[in-house]
Amino acid sequence: MAGNYDPSFAKEVFDNVDSGEEIKMCMQCGICAGSCPLRHEMDYPPRQIFTLIRAGRRDEVMNSKAIKLCTSCYRCKVRCPRGIPVIDVMHGLAHYGIKKGIIPRKGTAAFGGEFWKMIYNIGRIDEKTLPLKYNLLEGLVPGIKSTIEMAPMGIQMFLHHRMKLLPERKIKGIKELRKMLDKAKEMGKGGAN
Amino acid sequence: MKYFLYGGCSLEAGGKNYMVSLEPVCKALGMEFEEIEDWNCCGASISYAGANELSIMTLNARNIAIAESTGGYDIVAPCSSCYIQLVKTNHELKEDAELRNKINVILKEGNLNFKGSLNVRHLMDVLYNDGGIDKIKSTAVRPLKGLKVAGYVGCQTVRPYGEYDSVERPKVHDLLLKAIGADPVPFPKKMQCCGSGIFLTELDRCLGLVKEILDDAIANGAQLISTVCPMCALNLEMYQDKVNAKFGTNFNMPVVYLTQLMAVAFGMDLKKEAALDYCVIPPEGIIKAAIGG
Ligand code: SF4
Ligand code: SF4
Repeated sequence: MAGNYDPSFAKEVFDNVDSGEEIKMCMQCGICAGSCPLRHEMDYPPRQIFTLIRAGRRDEVMNSKAIKLCTSCYRCKVRCPRGIPVIDVMHGLAHYGIKKGIIPRKGTAAFGGEFWKMIYNIGRIDEKTLPLKYNLLEGLVPGIKSTIEMAPMGIQMFLHHRMKLLPERKIKGIKELRKMLDKAKEMGKGGAN
Repeated sequence: MKYFLYGGCSLEAGGKNYMVSLEPVCKALGMEFEEIEDWNCCGASISYAGANELSIMTLNARNIAIAESTGGYDIVAPCSSCYIQLVKTNHELKEDAELRNKINVILKEGNLNFKGSLNVRHLMDVLYNDGGIDKIKSTAVRPLKGLKVAGYVGCQTVRPYGEYDSVERPKVHDLLLKAIGADPVPFPKKMQCCGSGIFLTELDRCLGLVKEILDDAIANGAQLISTVCPMCALNLEMYQDKVNAKFGTNFNMPVVYLTQLMAVAFGMDLKKEAALDYCVIPPEGIIKAAIGG
């Protein structure tokens, strides 16, 4: 990816990405990058992502695996001397990319997508069926293979009373919850899509 | 003292041993819990893939608003992932009037309103500050003498606000372990993230994180790991086989909840209340040796 220079990219991030405007305060000290547990796995650690945004490097940023590799540990947010919620910017960028159909880490995007769908549908997460749904997204054959690979764990959980047998039911206020979530989607930064 | 308990989705399933043990332990310390009526999922750490910030905040604002409309007690979250979501929403909405107005427009769809009258607290905060070390000590009629425990704190348990413990050098978990007679070992990786919400989808990367934590616990002489979060417990316990397969290691380290150890120390039933048989890697032998049973 040659990474074309796109001078409007920084503004696009400030205006449309959740918490995107926060990076204006970044002084490039690198503390966030040094604190991140998966920094060795990231192509660009957080500090560099912010440099690239300001340099208009749209392709590098949106295709970076770093923004999808955040474990949500909050270490960056705790340590940033400028009080920037680095984690929120990383999540915002990941969400923005997924909305735009740029999905370099398919697994996490798919899992998170199913997770959210389940919340929207029933208001809670059913720990039994979520991994199954996620595995099946890979397609039926690889999905069944992954499910079988994970089965010993499920059986152990079951034997040790750690599986809820009844399917999770919808919360009573699901209709209202969905109305609220529709509204939140619309009112969020960048609008409904 | 009365509280709202927000157990979340995990404590009804994978984290059941946390729920089973925390209830009698907190009762013994004089705490009483009420469930938040018709609560919804907090969104955990991964919802950002499917939703914007405001939507995730809505989930938590709804739970807080229901609690506010049905009672005036603090909300206690035993799961660190739920805790962080609730406390963050509560914090930001209390501080930012504009955001609060926005959220209240949204909540109106369900006839709810966020006032900002409650606190959200981690179970560990409540055990330490409301239960109190003295009361815990005097309730621990069966102290876990000499049991070497690695007190794992994890990341979201005290971050980012550090409301009840240091975000860089937390000590509350170790103090609670000491109060029940156990011997917390030095554990530099006690705050290293276990992989949390992206574990399943980034297995290869996260197995390395778990290995480092287990290595550190063992190098410091721990016999078992104590946790205060169902995500941490799951990742540290259930993936040891996969870590062993990947790295050629031999881990078989029991992982329990702090409240399970407290139940044991409080003289409660090892199964019915301490729920030790819920653990997949059995901790009974080590624990019985410590209590001389
Ligand atoms: S919250 Fe995310 S970006 Fe920040 S240090 Fe943790 S993993 Fe890295
Ligand atoms: S720690 Fe804060 S100021 Fe320093 S590079 Fe990271 S975001 Fe910028």
